[in-house]
Amino acid sequence: MTLLKHRPSFKLWVGVLAIGVVVGIVGTGNVLLNGHSAVYNVTREIPWGILIATYVFLVVSSTGLCLVSSLGHVFGIEKFDFIGKRAIILAILTLLCGFGAIGMELTHPIRMGLYTIISPNFSSPIWWMGTLYGLYLVLLCAELFFLMKGMHKGAFAMGMIGFIAAITAHSNLGAVFGLLEARPYWHGSFLPIYFIVSALVSGGAIVSMIVYFNHKTTGEPMPQKYEDFMGTLGKLQALFLLILVFFVVWKIIPGLYGHPPEKYEATVAVLSGPLAFNFWFFEVLLGLAIPVILLLNKKTRTPYGVMMAGLSSTVGIFFMRYDLVIAGQLVSMREGTADLVGGLLQYSPSVTEIAIVIGAISTCLLLYTIAERLLPLESDH
Amino acid sequence: MKNKRFAIVLDTRRCIDCKACTVACKAENDVPLGSENYRNWVGEEKLRGQYPNLGQSFTPCQCQHCGNPPCAHVCPTKATEVNQDGIVHVVADKCIGCKYCMTACPYNARYYNEEIEAVDKCTFCTHRVYAGREPACVETCPTKVRVFGDLNDPSSEVSKLLTKYPSRVLKESQGTKPYLIYII
Amino acid sequence: MARLIDKKLSRRRFLGTSSCALAVATVGSQTTVLKALASSGKVTTSKGAGTKDVFTACGMCVNKCGVIARVRDGRIHKLDPNPEFIKSRGMLCARGNAGVKVIYDADRLKYPLIRVGKRGEGKWRRASWDEALDLVAKNMNEIAEKYTRAGVMFASTEGTFQEHFFLQMAECFGSPNTVRHPTLCLSSNIQGFGATYGTNPTPDVLNADYIIMAGANRSEALITPDSIDQLKGDGGRRKLIYLDPRFTKTAAKADEWYPIKPGTDLAFILAMINVIISEGRYAKEFVEEMTVGFDKLVPHVKPYTPEWAAKETEIPAEDIRRIAREFAAAAPKAIYYQGRRSSFFTNDTQLRRAMAILNAIIGNWDTEGGMVPNSKIKLVKHDYLAPWYDDVPERIDKGSAAFLSEKDGSWINLRNRVLEAKPYPVKGMMIYKQNVVMSVPNRAKTLKMMDQMDFICTIDIVMSDTAWYSDVVLPEATYLERQDPLESLSGILPVVAFRQPCVEPLFESKPNLWIMQNLAKRLGSEVAETFDFTMDEHIHHQVSKNPQILKDLKSKGVHYMKVLPTYGLTKGKRLKTKTGKIEIYSANYAKKGLDPLPTYTKHEDVPANKFRLLVGRSAIFTHGTTANNAYLHDIMPENTLWLNTLSAKKMGLRDGQRVKVKSRVGEGTLKLEVTEKIRPDCVYMAHGFGVISKGQSLIFDRGACDAALIEDKVEPISGNAAMHQTFVEVSPA
Ligand SMILES: Nc1nc2c(c(=O)[nH]1)N[C@H]1C(S)=C(S)[C@@H](COP(=O)(O)OP(=O)(O)OC[C@H]3O[C@@H](n4cnc5c(=O)[nH]c(N)nc54)[C@H](O)[C@@H]3O)O[C@H]1N2
Ligand SMILES: Nc1nc2c(c(=O)[nH]1)N[C@H]1C(S)=C(S)[C@@H](COP(=O)(O)OP(=O)(O)OC[C@H]3O[C@@H](n4cnc5c(=O)[nH]c(N)nc54)[C@H](O)[C@@H]3O)O[C@H]1N2
Ligand code: SF4
Ligand code: SF4
Ligand code: SF4
Ligand code: SF4
Ligand code: SF4
Ligand SMILES: [Mo]
Repeated sequence: MTLLKHRPSFKLWVGVLAIGVVVGIVGTGNVLLNGHSAVYNVTREIPWGILIATYVFLVVSSTGLCLVSSLGHVFGIEKFDFIGKRAIILAILTLLCGFGAIGMELTHPIRMGLYTIISPNFSSPIWWMGTLYGLYLVLLCAELFFLMKGMHKGAFAMGMIGFIAAITAHSNLGAVFGLLEARPYWHGSFLPIYFIVSALVSGGAIVSMIVYFNHKTTGEPMPQKYEDFMGTLGKLQALFLLILVFFVVWKIIPGLYGHPPEKYEATVAVLSGPLAFNFWFFEVLLGLAIPVILLLNKKTRTPYGVMMAGLSSTVGIFFMRYDLVIAGQLVSMREGTADLVGGLLQYSPSVTEIAIVIGAISTCLLLYTIAERLLPLESDH
Repeated sequence: MKNKRFAIVLDTRRCIDCKACTVACKAENDVPLGSENYRNWVGEEKLRGQYPNLGQSFTPCQCQHCGNPPCAHVCPTKATEVNQDGIVHVVADKCIGCKYCMTACPYNARYYNEEIEAVDKCTFCTHRVYAGREPACVETCPTKVRVFGDLNDPSSEVSKLLTKYPSRVLKESQGTKPYLIYII
Repeated sequence: MARLIDKKLSRRRFLGTSSCALAVATVGSQTTVLKALASSGKVTTSKGAGTKDVFTACGMCVNKCGVIARVRDGRIHKLDPNPEFIKSRGMLCARGNAGVKVIYDADRLKYPLIRVGKRGEGKWRRASWDEALDLVAKNMNEIAEKYTRAGVMFASTEGTFQEHFFLQMAECFGSPNTVRHPTLCLSSNIQGFGATYGTNPTPDVLNADYIIMAGANRSEALITPDSIDQLKGDGGRRKLIYLDPRFTKTAAKADEWYPIKPGTDLAFILAMINVIISEGRYAKEFVEEMTVGFDKLVPHVKPYTPEWAAKETEIPAEDIRRIAREFAAAAPKAIYYQGRRSSFFTNDTQLRRAMAILNAIIGNWDTEGGMVPNSKIKLVKHDYLAPWYDDVPERIDKGSAAFLSEKDGSWINLRNRVLEAKPYPVKGMMIYKQNVVMSVPNRAKTLKMMDQMDFICTIDIVMSDTAWYSDVVLPEATYLERQDPLESLSGILPVVAFRQPCVEPLFESKPNLWIMQNLAKRLGSEVAETFDFTMDEHIHHQVSKNPQILKDLKSKGVHYMKVLPTYGLTKGKRLKTKTGKIEIYSANYAKKGLDPLPTYTKHEDVPANKFRLLVGRSAIFTHGTTANNAYLHDIMPENTLWLNTLSAKKMGLRDGQRVKVKSRVGEGTLKLEVTEKIRPDCVYMAHGFGVISKGQSLIFDRGACDAALIEDKVEPISGNAAMHQTFVEVSPA
């Protein structure tokens, strides 16, 4: 480990993350000094921007990590056992950083703490989202505690409840969008289910990277056990991805068929409109096609290939979140809105918004890197 | 107010898109400057036809004070409240700025007010109405497109208008039960 | 007016807080407001001051609608319409509502300023009123000495209720050269209708069943009460025929819209007269009894058939014929609406004459739903004895038009003569509430004229382009801060309006009377004596024959005598024409060598690859000086060039791209708006952008200025500007 600390690639990694964190801090400072409207590009028509997308991305990752790790210590798939602590730690960190991202979008995170308790609205999906994710966070921490202490029963129990909480919280996140009748692109029961499936992909992808890079940093060749794990994970990932493809296709077809009002325009915006590059390049090529090809092909389903597939789909998934959040808002809700381009509203993230996104992701990775160094995360199996 | 159901009935045939309502509302309600900050607006509907056979209508609009307001359903802290008389409003101190209501409102009636640090929207000028006056936009309108009143009172001008003329509401299919009612 | 809620409230509060003769007790200190405005440009509320409602009149445009200012803690919070103000039907338009941003505007003039840099460079130094007025008086006297008193010209526009003090100053100083807005606005209208009826009547829009509106965009160019009355929802009984090369908001409300070829309205009217006469649809008895010269009209209009007019106007002959028949059938509740601004083409007076004649032959004179002569409530005039000066020449623009109003002059003709220094030089300019750089066609020429001045002083409330080009700029208190004299507004239902200070003047701004009095003191005792009165005395003198007027104003913000129109007051009486009748044939014109009956003249057609530049109002702006108002700016931050979709396609121009517009006298760059709403041979831009003055921070460098492009053509009978005879090239910028 001491050796590792001095390796240039490690220094570079920490350096880059540190810069990312600084960028995030500068962005945050900018918001605090100048106010949201001055530095964000969100508008009255598109009130949710890249920060919400990042939040969704991060909490989906968290859920995915929790679900995948539970395969081990909850569902007893032994191969998955050893990633437990890492996955849970990262689940906690992604969740916290997700909260950070949405916290920067909210204007009164502190008020939120107060009024969600003294003035709760049980019909609000966001209230449930906050509550369930709060609970989920507590469970994750407890689970980690038990794992660290080697208390398997406790870990199992927490893992079990955590798994349920993750599924509930996460499908509820889908409902945050899905219950909005005003936004036909989001509205319906599709999103809650879709969110769970995509969480599995996210989780698997991130796990593949954790496992791969952890071994990479030791400088030693990967033990067979891990190689096997990567192979299994790769197959599983391929399955998840194919299910996701299925979902993506079934998101598009009803969006086009019969030109459902507003849903159609939003779908077209994704397929051939302002979000088309994001969709075809990031979502389809990086997010789905490349990983599926890498994972289905036995030759490329090496640890390296599985990791690459994970990396690729993670990048793709980020754009899936972004496109989903933005596309749902691109269609103006009233006639005569000025400054439409091609009949659609416009949004592109501001520098500050991007800085905060960079900050959130960098913070998450940096904290994980630190945790990796400071905590005994190797499995005791 | 008890036993009242406030509404605005609009005769858009008379609207000349003069924007008096928009400026009156901004001034009355200290809506911050900025082209995105407004509680009401006048929709210039798409030009119908081709030169020289053209037609255009204007639709003044604002919060619909929905009888079934999605904004209130989704608000996590009950910052969006509904009064007994149907007026939907935001309690600024409770608003956490999640903007969920903005994505939930099918009319784009809400905006984030940086000065009060909360989401803001039309209040039907409660402060004027409860003092026995008319909303600012109603009072100032040159051609009196807008009529404000209590639908529970059959002798009110709004009730009379609605018995006399057929009317419609915007985005009825959303099930929001709007109380901005347009005469056709 | 059914809206009584406000009235009761406001009356009580108003009486409760105001005790003394006129001025409402001023509440609260303005220091907090002042400091805040000075340091940040924003206004905060001053604490501890009372709350009151003040009756006053809007000062944002010619209409002067009744206002109740809601003053909270010494700050005007909101301007509400006065429901009692029958002329405006209890409304305030966007601009009226935006008035609060006039008084609390970081860009407003705060102190007297003296130029330190080159003229137009925008370098100023704050001066005391004493220093500034000393300098003005010194320059006026020097110019008078060097070039006679006519060497100082006085430019002004109505609106403040205090313009007559400025005109008094001109007269008492001894200059004949006053030049007012009418020849940029409605002088050909006044001339054409005056020559026919002896007066310019008001169309009874509220009660008319059939209205033909041409060249008057009442849904955007707001005139009270017409703009409101034209939309009276009466179940479709009313028919509105609208002629305009643009699809305006009025067009959107009209029953029929015809994009008439600009400059051919006269052909349309002559053809209507032709149909009405040839089909015997005119009001025979009325014509016989009330008019002179009908017999000459009959052969005169013979050649003007609808088929002929269709070629000129591009309106189908059958439509012209049908409209003429419908119009005559609806008589006398039918009006050919004459509009207000008539500075269109070089035959404008004859066009307005034709409108008057068309109305006359269907007998809609002085009847319900017809053309009703104005009534006016009398106020006692303030008399003064102007000093006599020897050797002052006549108006410099004398004789430049067939009929010139002695006080108004003819702006463009006057400018030409000043530039030529013929017959004498004019080297000083006093400007009051007029934005000449923006309002007079051919901006370059106005600037040239100003360049050759030895001295220019502008009294304004903001750093207009005109102020920017001046040597001394004096800040008048805004209409919300002043006590203004009473003003009698004529109409079918005449009213008297007034203004009271809602809050004390901010900064060092002063009302015009104060400025004139203090300038007069410096110009010698003879001039000063004519200003020896207080505003209070002046107002009491105005109502000395009818004190009820003032009582009404104090209790309800307006005075009127009747709420229902009276018609037929001129019946059996002589009209104010030479013959005492409606002069279809004008012997007066014949004597001057002018066409005694309106004869059609063709205007130059739009050359290939060029467009006719049109001028027209936007409902949210007043002329050239409200685009910088923060509330209105939010709605329209810059102007665009309207270009028809087909024309844009042909030229390969895209919506939203920047284009250069070039005329013979100037050019400008602005955003293109590709639209169906305009004839393919015309372009249009809103007035008031492309300013020179950096003192208009919101709009500086935004859009283009139409005044820079419009050529300075003049209508020869009235001396009115002809603003629609400019052709422009459009190219990508
Ligand atoms: N909002 C607002 N209201 C105002 C004012 C303001 O500045 N703002 N100003 C006030 C004043 S001072 C005046 S004088 C009045 C002016 O009131 P209007 O006389 O109604 O003035 P414009 O808007 O200039 O209307 C001219 C219309 O004529 C059209 N037009 C141009 N050429 C021709 C032509 O050859 N034939 C026909 N038939 N139409 C043509 C133009 O497209 C334009 O729409 O408005 C008053 N009201
Ligand atoms: N291109 C073009 N030119 C036009 C027209 C057009 O449509 N297009 N319309 C023409 C017509 S119809 C008219 S009537 C004229 C009008 O032209 P102007 O008479 O020049 O009127 P405004 O442009 O309103 O300018 C009024 C000036 O008075 C100032 N002012 C406002 N309130 C006060 C006050 O209380 N006190 C003082 N001292 N100053 C004040 C304003 O800041 C502004 O500088 O323009 C004419 N010129
Ligand atoms: S004030 Fe009245 S006429 Fe003007 S835009 Fe608003 S609703 Fe229409
Ligand atoms: S219009 Fe929008 S803001 Fe108003 S009550 Fe309905 S949903 Fe809520
Ligand atoms: S932004 Fe404010 S009012 Fe809207 S849902 Fe969130 S807390 Fe409620
Ligand atoms: S009712 Fe009041 S708050 Fe609502 S739009 Fe009208 S002026 Fe604004
Ligand atoms: S029409 Fe508008 S700007 Fe003109 S006086 Fe009336 S309220 Fe004021
Ligand atoms: Mo005018």
